[in-house]
Parts: sequence; structure tokens; C-alpha cells
Amino acid sequence: MARVVVDPVTRIEGHLRIEIVVDEKTGKVRDAVSSGTMWRGIELILRGRDPRDAWAFAQRICGVCTSIHALASVRCIEDALEIQIPKNANYIRNIMYGSLQVHDHLVHFYHLHALDWVSPVEALKADPVQTAVLQNQLLEKYGAIAEVMPDFLAHRAYPKKFPKATPGYYRTFQEKIKKIVESGQLGIFAAHWWDHPDYKLLPPEVHLMAVAHYLNMLDVQRELFIPQVVFGGKNPHPHYLVGGMTCSISMNDMNAPINTERLAVVEDAIYTQIEAVNLFYLIDLLAIGHIYVQKGQVYGGGLAKKRVIGYGEFPDEPYKGIKTGEYHNRILYHCNGVVENFAEGVDKAKYYPMVGKDFADPNVIQEYVAHSWYKYPDETKGLHPWDGITEPNYTGPKEGTKTQWKYLNEQGKYSWIKSPRWRGKPCEVGPLARYIVVYTATKQGHIKPSWMDEMVIKQIDTVSKVLDLPPHVWLPTTVGRTAARGLEAQLGAAANLYFLKKLYDNIKAGDTAVANTEKWDPSTWPKEAKGVGITDAPRGALGHWVIIKDGKIANYQCVVPTTWNGGARDPMGGQGAFEECMKDTPVKVVDKPLEVLRGIHSFDPCLACSTHLYDTEGKEIVSIKVQGTNTCY
Amino acid sequence: METFWETFKRHGVSRRDFLKFATTITGMMGLSPSMIPHVVRALETKPRVPVLWIHGLECTCCSESFIRSATPLASDVVLSMISLEYDDTLSAAAGEALEKHREEIIKRYWGNYILAVEGNPPLGEDGMYCVVGGRAFLENLKESAKGAKAVIAWGSCASWGCVQAAKPNPTTAVPIHKVITDKPIIKVPGCPPIAEVMTGVIMYLVLFDAIPPLDSQGRPKQFYGNRIHDTCYRRAFFNAGQFVERFDDDGAKKGWCLYKVGCRGPTTYNSCGNIRWYNGLSYPIQAGHGCIGCAEEDFWDKAPFYQRLTTIPLPNVEASPDKVGAVAVAAAAAGAVAHGVISKIRNKGGK
Repeated sequence: MARVVVDPVTRIEGHLRIEIVVDEKTGKVRDAVSSGTMWRGIELILRGRDPRDAWAFAQRICGVCTSIHALASVRCIEDALEIQIPKNANYIRNIMYGSLQVHDHLVHFYHLHALDWVSPVEALKADPVQTAVLQNQLLEKYGAIAEVMPDFLAHRAYPKKFPKATPGYYRTFQEKIKKIVESGQLGIFAAHWWDHPDYKLLPPEVHLMAVAHYLNMLDVQRELFIPQVVFGGKNPHPHYLVGGMTCSISMNDMNAPINTERLAVVEDAIYTQIEAVNLFYLIDLLAIGHIYVQKGQVYGGGLAKKRVIGYGEFPDEPYKGIKTGEYHNRILYHCNGVVENFAEGVDKAKYYPMVGKDFADPNVIQEYVAHSWYKYPDETKGLHPWDGITEPNYTGPKEGTKTQWKYLNEQGKYSWIKSPRWRGKPCEVGPLARYIVVYTATKQGHIKPSWMDEMVIKQIDTVSKVLDLPPHVWLPTTVGRTAARGLEAQLGAAANLYFLKKLYDNIKAGDTAVANTEKWDPSTWPKEAKGVGITDAPRGALGHWVIIKDGKIANYQCVVPTTWNGGARDPMGGQGAFEECMKDTPVKVVDKPLEVLRGIHSFDPCLACSTHLYDTEGKEIVSIKVQGTNTCY
Repeated sequence: METFWETFKRHGVSRRDFLKFATTITGMMGLSPSMIPHVVRALETKPRVPVLWIHGLECTCCSESFIRSATPLASDVVLSMISLEYDDTLSAAAGEALEKHREEIIKRYWGNYILAVEGNPPLGEDGMYCVVGGRAFLENLKESAKGAKAVIAWGSCASWGCVQAAKPNPTTAVPIHKVITDKPIIKVPGCPPIAEVMTGVIMYLVLFDAIPPLDSQGRPKQFYGNRIHDTCYRRAFFNAGQFVERFDDDGAKKGWCLYKVGCRGPTTYNSCGNIRWYNGLSYPIQAGHGCIGCAEEDFWDKAPFYQRLTTIPLPNVEASPDKVGAVAVAAAAAGAVAHGVISKIRNKGGK
């Protein structure tokens, strides 16, 4: 047995360490440890603040999935104060959310994940003429995936972004890579395990095409976020408002935040999203994924095979509250549920809905700290976010010193990430989880499918045909996790067009309101209020819980996607999705566990999100001693 | 900057050993032996500026902003202007291999590489609130700074402390100048900084091989010389006394001044008003939200954000803008002077 450490895990947000125990003879991973190695305490910082400011603080939990914590936060405060936002604000927030999905997923695929599948060194061996031929073939072979997507506006005459398929184009990229390699300054490509056998799975031409698109999409990705810049003023970290949005609409004034010119900018950007997803992202994804599956890489599903959870998204119209159940009556993306045992087949899987009351029920969602560097009075039990406690309790590693680790202590505490559980059980979250929930809920007849749910089914069926495998075989795998993310980017782009049309229609009907300021004044608030704000972030189910007392935040808790996926094990022995995935992934070269890294990357880990945690109910935020001590009461 | 060959010579490495090194790395890069002469030539020519980009406690919004740059495009910066040898977000490699590479770059380019820092170190729990490669980020930061030619403090985290350093600062997070005291630090504050400001700073370093002119607080004058208020397209409405009184009111639809709903434009130095975000597309005020002052020190503790600044007197009539401007400038200047004195003392202490 060998114990292999990868720290830092790069091409993620934040700081993550993994340790695996590998059987050197078989390459089987016997045990795996995932540890979040940072903690910032943002919820503690939120306490005592004005609830209307919370979105700005919470948004800084993460700058990669920027905007999502702001969205969860405004929803949370609005739920607590019973504020219903105007229609336009709902459509605009949905477009901002959809734009995040497209951007985040695409950047993850090309810039954080691609180099686990393709290599610039292999690209040097490609024939540029053949690469151009291949590009054309792939567009023909997989292009049908674009047809599952409805175009609600039909304003684009023809695609403005189309993959170039000329030898000269690929030769230019190849020469640039060659120059970088020859210079000895490999930059971002330096020091990686390029000699790993998995880089031989794809023909060199696929490597060259994908590396060229890696660079091409680095230039294009910025345009995908233009809707957030128009509606929220900047990106990363656009501006939101409790009660709606600030981007007032007027067709009488060029100084207005939103007028015809601004809407045209948004519309153009949404079509760019569609082209980037349909013509680049999905084609490359299918080309690579298809070969990996053909070469037998249908592992890495781990926890996804056993249990997944989602919260639901895209409210079609404004709603009166989340814990009231109204939110879930309005959503179009019915990924709100838990599905168990999907790997046994969609008919045998078990489906449990997740609706408003489940988020207020103290027994449904709980967090444990038995193996995290925090203290609870009774660590055998979990706590609901409204009752959460976080008192840091750093205990150091199993081997090494407190400030210089060799190996972490999985029998004791080993991570700054807590362990969220659904009725005491671990769940995987993310695009894969959401696709499993929608697919199961629809196929088993639990929901009346919306156009979005139907699109998800069509996407899954199309890919199943391509791979010639049923969904329960290919979806809960590393390839499936990466594929679901790409498909969801397409869903997001389609949703953006849908909500832009609704925005146009509503403005046409004479409604220009973007903010409900009836309860802007704290004097209109109850003395005490509790709220929950939920969304399905790019990386998975996200919830914020707040308690407001006397106009101030008394308690603020976030249970975020990478906490679900990357969290430590629970006192009952349940392991999170990262650890389960690693245990479901064989390793070819023990000291270069590329397959494990690829599996971890397939979750798109976000550590700043997962380890922001904190809080203690009802006590004052004081007695932080300077340097060395950290007790927060 | 020295070429590899010059560095080798300086360290007394023979031509023979240099050629051996070239042969080895040719093999390591998976190239055929026929490429050796090309590699030798490359090692003899001027290298791109090596950059180590390390991450402490942060949210990665700075990296995200950086890749949003349109002019120059991030791909041109990363592949042609600099050599980004270490970056938690973009580096292909991970784990020990990457940490070893960092150490090697520090040695190889001692005194010649740029250290870019995103985020900041926590001092609490011996720095173990932020661990990289099994030890505190704080150690990594100190070690990486030692041989750097200059240090860039990306964003408000590295420059001022930002959100994790807001009260009660549970991890005792500090800006990097509290830890690195003997190197020039270019502060590029903002949460995040504007993309083109970030790449603009790098452009300057590469084009002129020098640190851009800085103000008394260490910020590039080019980008932080103006208050947003002075460059804001809504300034005329402030002068005219035309204000948004409540979000989404008539004034909001007309794009009037947001000062009364909390705008920090009058006390914030940044380029949002002139170069704006996304190559001039917009900025928060244009989207109807006041500036929250994200490029200023301790801006989080100057919340609530929707409460108007009380230090800036309102113009009574349109004739008084000069007076208003003068008061605001005086208030900000007093702050800048105080900072200047503090940073001078600190610099002395450092030397």
C-alpha cells in the first residue's frame, strides 16, 4: 500500500489537499481523504450587519461562481422579510444566473479540466491538415446536439462564432505551443505529468483541436458574462438588491441603466453563449468523452450512483417565499429532490422531492463536525443551519507537525470543511446530481415536466444514443459528470433566451418595475425573522439561512456545494462525494494519480465556498484575540 | 533580465554542462533530439518575465477578472508577455511537482521574477487557516517574496485585507505589506480590480521594465489617480442636485446621482468612472447601484452600504459644485497624507 498526497490541487478555486491509499499491485484506491485547507469565517463577519448588505459580503465567498452567493443571499433576506420581487427583476436575475451557468461550466471545461484529458505535448505530434479534417467531421458527427435547444427569439441570422477548420489555423496554434516548449519557459504547462499513459488515449489531432480551443475560448469566455455587466454593473461580483435589481428600465433616456441599446448588448451576448456552447464546448466534450468511454473509462461515479440531491431553479415568475413552498411551485428546472441508487437503473432508483418545508425542517439538512476542525457540544449529532455552531478547533495532522503536515488524520479531524447530510446521509450535488434528479422524476412520472425538464431528457437521450449506453451506466461516472455540466450550459443558454423574451414581452405590456422597495426601511420589518435562500449553483445545491433580529443579522449560515461534495466523513462513517469518487477510480501510475485528479476536477471544486463557515447562535461576536488564537464566541 | 546561459555562466556552470541541461529538458518536454539546437538557442535568448502567482485567503475573483481583460487579452499576456510559471488556478501541474517547480523558478530567476499575490495570509493558528502543500501559506508567501524583483498585491485582499479581515477578522488576516517589508509592492486594489487595470499593470512592467509610478499608498497613479465621483457620467446630476431618492424611482430611471442611496464614488479612488468595466461597457453606477468603495481600505467596515456618506456636503444650488468638490478632495487628501506618512515609517522600519 502506498499513501499518495496531492497538495495543492490546482485548477480549482481555493485550497484542497487529497490523500489516497493505493494498492500498488492493482492500482485500486482503498481509501481516500479530501481536506479543505482554508477557512475565512465570512458568516461570523456577517453577524451584526445590515441584512440589505449581506449579498455583497456573501458574494465574496467565491469569485469564480461569482453572483451565486449574492443571489442566494437576496433570496434568503427576501424570504425572511416576505418581499416579493417584480417580474422584471425575476427575469433579469434568471438571465444573470443562466449566464453564470454557461460561463462557469465552459471555463471549467476548457481552463480547469481540459488538461486532465488533453496535452499540449501530444498536440505537437498532430498533423494540422488532419486536425482541420477532424474538426469538420466532429461538427457533422455531434452537431445534432444543437437541435435539442429551442430558440425563443430567432433573432440570429447566422452564427458569428464558428470553429475554424483550416490547416493554417491549427498550424499557428501548434507553432505557438512549440515556441513555448522550446523556450524552456513552459509557463502554465510546466511540471505536469505529461508522460502519463492516459494522454495516449486520444489521437494527436484531438489534442491539438482541444488545446487550440482552450486558448480560443480563453478569449471568448469574457463575452459570456456581458449580461451580468449590463444588469449588475461589473463582473466578477455584480450588484444585486434586496427587493429586486437596481437597473431601472426606461425607453425614454439613454442614461437609464436599461434601454433598447442595453438589451441589444445582452441579446447579442446570449447568442454568443449559444454558439460557444453548441459549436465548441459540446462538440469537444462529446469527441473526448466518447473516446474515453470507448476505452472503458466508465468509473468515478462514486456517491452519484448511490445518492444525489438538488434544490431546483429558474422560477418562471415571482413567488411569495421559499419556506412557504411557493418557490418550488414556480420553478421550471425540477432538479429539487433526492435520488437514491440511480446506478441500478432509472426504474429502480428512489426519488424523494425537496420542497419549501424541507428547508425549514431541523431534521432534513444538517451539518456534522466530527471529522472537521470545529467543536460541537455533542459531535455525534448534526445541526440544522439555523441552529448551527462553529467553533474552530484545529488539531493538526496524524503525521508531521501542526505546521508541517505529512499525513492527515482521517480517524480524527482533518478538514476545514464540515459534513452536510440529508437525513443523516451524504449526497452528491452538481450538474450530474441535477440531471439524475430531473431524469428520474420525469421518467418515473413524479413531476409534470416543463420545457426545461423535457430538454434535459432530450439531451440525455441524445448522448445515450451517441455513447450507445443507457443513462444509468454513463451518467454516474467521471465522464458523465463532465458531460452533464456541458449539457447544463446549453440549458442555461436556452433559459436566457426564454427569460429575455419574457422581459421584452413584459416591458411591452407596460411594466418597467425592477425593485420592490415597500419593505426597504428596517422600520417595516418584524422584530425577528427567519429566512432561507436556495439556488442550484454551478457546483451544486446551495442554501443560505438567516436569522434577523432587531434589523440586524443575528445568525447567517451557508451550506454550499463543495461542502456537500468535498466535506469530511460523518460520525456514522459516511463519506462525501470526493472521497467516494476517488475510491471508485483505479490508478495506473501510483505517484502520478492523473485519473484521481481528473475525477476530483470533474466536480469543479470550489474551496473558498466550502470553507467560509461559521457561526454561533445568539452570542456576541467578540473576543477575537490577535495572532495565534482564534476562539470565536 | 539575464538569459539562462548568462545565469549559468554567472554560477560557474560550464558550456558542456549547459548543453547537457538543454539535452535533458528537451527529453523532459517529450521532444525529439533534433530539437536540441532550438532549445539551446531559446535558452540563450532573453526570457519572458517569469511570474509566480500565489493564492492565500481569497475568492479568486482577481484571477477571474484578469481573464476578462479585452486589451490586452489574457491569452496574449500569459503566453507572450510573461511566463506564468506558477498559478493555483491555471497551472496544469499539481502537488509536489508544482511546488518543486516553484522552488526551482525562485532559484533560477533569483532577483528577476515577479511575485503576484492574490489573497492574503492569516496569522491566526500559526497561519494554518490557509495551508498550501502541508504548511502555512504565510511561509510560502515569505519564501516566494525573498528572491522577487517586485511584488504585485492583486485586489483588496492582498492590498488591504478585504472581506476576511472585516470585523471581527476571525483568522487575523492581514494585507501582504504586513509580512513583506523589504520589497517594492504594487497595490492593485478593488474587489476585484478592473481587468484592464490588472493587465495594464503587467503591460507597464513588461514594456518599460520598471515599476509603474505609484502614489503614496503604493497604487499605480495611472489607474488610481481619480475619484470615481470626479469621472462619473452622473456627476452633472450631483452638481445639479438631482438625486435618486429611492431605488427604481423616477430619478433612477433617468440615471440621476446615487449619492443619497449610499454611493461611495466621492471617497473611492479607482478607474470605474473613466475606463469602466469590460472595456468601457458599464460600471456599477451605470447599472443603477452606488459604488460600494471596494478599492478602498476597510470598505467593508464602512457599511451599511445604503447609508449616505455624511462627510460630503450636498450642493444646495447648482452654483456650488466647486465648493463641494474642494471639500471632498480635502477630506480624501487628508487621508492620503496620513497613509503616506505611515507607509514611509513602515518602509524605514523595513530597511
